[in-house]
Amino acid sequence: MSSFSFKLQDNSAAKSHLHARTGTLAIASAHQEKRQIDTPGCFMYSIKGSVPHLTPDNLRQQTFGGVNVAMEQILQTDQPQSFSKWTNPFAPESQKLMSVADYLHLQDLILLCDFHDSAPLEPFSKRASNTDYHVVLSTPKGIRQLTLEDYLKIVRHYRPDIVAALTDSILETTQTAGNPTPHKKVPSQKRVRKSVDRSLKWLDQVLEERQGRDGMAEDRKKEQEKRTKREKKQKARDAKNAVDGDTEMTPAANEDQEEGNAFVSQPWTDITVFAHVQGAHMKEERIRSAQETARRDQVQGFIIDTNDLWATLSKEHEKRSGEILAHVQTSLTHLPSEKPKMVYGVRTPEDVLKAVAMGVDLFDTSYPYQLTEDGKASLYEYGVEAAAAAPSIPTTNKSVVTNRWINLWDEEHADQFKPIMEGCECYACKGNRHTRAYINHLLKTHEMLATVLLMGHNMHQYSLFFSKVRESIQDGTFEAKATLFSEVFGIEPESTGEKHEAQIAVEAALQKRNQRLETAEEGVVEAIGGAVPAGQPVSKMEDAEQQASKKKRPSQEVEEGVDIAAKEKALKK
Amino acid sequence: MKSALKWDILAKCSTTKARAAVLTLPHGPVNAPVFMPVGTQGTLKGITPDQIEGLGCQIMLNNTYHLGLRPGQELLDACGGAHTFQGWNRNLLTDSGGFQMVSLLKLAEITEQGVQFESPHDGSLMLLTPEHSMSLQNSIGADIMMQLDDVVSSLTTGPRVEEAMWRSIRWLDRCIKAHKKPETQNLFAIIQGGLDPVLRKKCIEEMVKRDTPGYAIGGLSGGEEKDKFWRVVSQCTDLMPREKPIYCMGVGYAEDLVVCVALGVDMFDCVFPTRTARFGNALTSTGTLSLRQAKFKDDFRPIEEGCDCIACKSYTRAYLYTIVTKETVGCHLISIHNTAYQLRLMRQIRESIIEDRFPQYIHKFFKDLFVEKSAYPEWVVNALKSVNVDLIEGDKQQA
Repeated sequence: MSSFSFKLQDNSAAKSHLHARTGTLAIASAHQEKRQIDTPGCFMYSIKGSVPHLTPDNLRQQTFGGVNVAMEQILQTDQPQSFSKWTNPFAPESQKLMSVADYLHLQDLILLCDFHDSAPLEPFSKRASNTDYHVVLSTPKGIRQLTLEDYLKIVRHYRPDIVAALTDSILETTQTAGNPTPHKKVPSQKRVRKSVDRSLKWLDQVLEERQGRDGMAEDRKKEQEKRTKREKKQKARDAKNAVDGDTEMTPAANEDQEEGNAFVSQPWTDITVFAHVQGAHMKEERIRSAQETARRDQVQGFIIDTNDLWATLSKEHEKRSGEILAHVQTSLTHLPSEKPKMVYGVRTPEDVLKAVAMGVDLFDTSYPYQLTEDGKASLYEYGVEAAAAAPSIPTTNKSVVTNRWINLWDEEHADQFKPIMEGCECYACKGNRHTRAYINHLLKTHEMLATVLLMGHNMHQYSLFFSKVRESIQDGTFEAKATLFSEVFGIEPESTGEKHEAQIAVEAALQKRNQRLETAEEGVVEAIGGAVPAGQPVSKMEDAEQQASKKKRPSQEVEEGVDIAAKEKALKK
Repeated sequence: MKSALKWDILAKCSTTKARAAVLTLPHGPVNAPVFMPVGTQGTLKGITPDQIEGLGCQIMLNNTYHLGLRPGQELLDACGGAHTFQGWNRNLLTDSGGFQMVSLLKLAEITEQGVQFESPHDGSLMLLTPEHSMSLQNSIGADIMMQLDDVVSSLTTGPRVEEAMWRSIRWLDRCIKAHKKPETQNLFAIIQGGLDPVLRKKCIEEMVKRDTPGYAIGGLSGGEEKDKFWRVVSQCTDLMPREKPIYCMGVGYAEDLVVCVALGVDMFDCVFPTRTARFGNALTSTGTLSLRQAKFKDDFRPIEEGCDCIACKSYTRAYLYTIVTKETVGCHLISIHNTAYQLRLMRQIRESIIEDRFPQYIHKFFKDLFVEKSAYPEWVVNALKSVNVDLIEGDKQQA
């Protein structure tokens, strides 16, 4: 059995009138060392269950204590039905059932399992809506409807430390004839109310099931009624058809139900439940959702997902974060102070500071990830008087001037044999091992080590930022330092999603070559066909490989850019 | 000529021509036989230098042509060479760059002076000479540098092969003369001569006179028949000086490595393990797993039982199936596994040579890979028979 705890520290000596606080979220269990996240802190952002670019060993160089995994990204099409096949090869006794932490090799971190990507890129690809009986997931294999019953089965098999209760997020897009790309749709008041109601209903059902009670009784009753109706109709049809001959018996539908019942008796109270609070852009609904959710004692933490606000925000970049934070504030006011709150969609350092001042405890690491994808290396520092590391640097977008990061695609770094940040302890910077010049070279040659090094640095600096924020809350300097930060570093320039011109040029040049190499490699894969089957001469493999390398010495085959086929696919998401 | 290496043979196989040795280079020792992973652009495909070291890699390849273009000689000089540039403190080997001129650039023309080609930047005519190649490799600072050779495809026949062989010898002389740092960098000669034993013999005779610190067998792995390939390798190792390291360029499939070690080769390189990794193909002792295939969806085993790489210690095939070719982490993990596989193979070969049980190792290796003897490639059987290992009958005699 593992147990969840969230302890707030007494910072009353710090005498701040802000709501910023420090605490520790911890999971203690008999068979494992205690795992914890110091707050304000982060659950790491992941894609398909991996923190982008970081292999497990490199991931362990980071100090974030938790990771957020999106169910929609890792759920296979035949799950939960195929969970019986889940076995853990690393477990001491064979046939041991695998948890999601085992599957993703994240046992030493606190694993939070939610449904959706906490930092989706615009525009959403999802075009379907949730109903009373299911939520829509956007899986790697396409849209999928997830029922509460399946959700419960998944939770029982995944056994994450913390799970988000099934909730009705409004992440809808519309497609009009004139505008073929899906765009955001402002939800109606009716839809927002429904979202709050459904989320509360599902939350109650989830909490019932968690206690080992039948939370599905009502749903099944309705389902049974429907089925009876269907069967009656079917019988009537059959009776008609019977005139023409024998009819096939419809298979009994009871089996499913019995299987469902078998699960119900098992409580899963060692899994902590976090609940989403809903309400979108409607203040009264936000309040209702927060108040009602807060009344459920079993809920140990709250998630405020601001991604569904996008359609209702103003067009001006400078105003948007203020609007988002105002909605967050509305929810926070009605949530119990002793429990942790997590926010999605608030990620830049200055927004994090504002949210922390309101009493938000938990964030994700999508900010360092997005910097990395753009080729940016962070320079911002919390608590410094001036941006010592760099003066204002114009970036490719000529109007944007920032001192919070550098874009290593910029040619000016090509001869800079110095670390991204002096004194930084990340793998790249430490001992000046990997210089700005080297990372610029890696980007230009489209080598994947570039994002590995950048991600390491950006994640390290983000965690350092949080740890300095915690210190400042404890020693009473938070307010002053937060103000100082915005004076020195301003606000994050709007990300237009535009690629650096150097990146565009490099990618265009490699495009043709990649296509040729990928076509060639297809041939190799076909020839190999998985494990070389017994009896298949390996020379066949060589032939294909040699065709692939077009009669070159394989050692000297041009390598540049081959990786991009895969990388670009990943980026296109 | 001067040498900046030490070559200590630890053990010789009592059956085949294989040997185990320690090659001591300016950036530390290298256990031979050795497979050298290829980091073309000054990086091994998303793997950090610490991870490469962690796999036990002692020497890696870089590419002169690519580093000459980017970051360029000026920047390499400015930062003190490729070791510093990429944060790699162990050994580096660079090839001469001539091969890329010929293979990558359509309008390359080879003259006595050098390789003339169109600049990929501005289309102007450029010339790579032996002197220029040496100058670039001196700037890179590789522990082993390769001469500029006149490369012809191994499928070429006729007088062009002989011309290339003689020109490679003349270019070797110019390389030796232009080499500025023989005290800290080793220059290897490259034996040419196509598939013609007479030309190979002549080339070896001439190049051995130049007394370079090591020798490479070049001009192979270009689509020639395997039965001809192994005969050239074996002939070369017979004629080359046994007190120096022998490097067979561009060889990297597991079965080729085992055969070539038996034929007396000490060093290998190939892009295959890391390149194929990026397409989701994982190497194992029983064959290649194409992890993109749906059959791995519910396969909850590591890629290879007993492999201690980070991919095998952390993940199942089922999970890797979901991320290979999609997430960069997937590429990194398979690249790490494949490099670990190659290096482990070489370690096992080396241990078996030291314990003088290499023939037994060969039998087991091919049985694991092909299962049935009828599946053994004929050239492998022939090649190994030439060094007294009978794959078909031999294991019975030993049993």
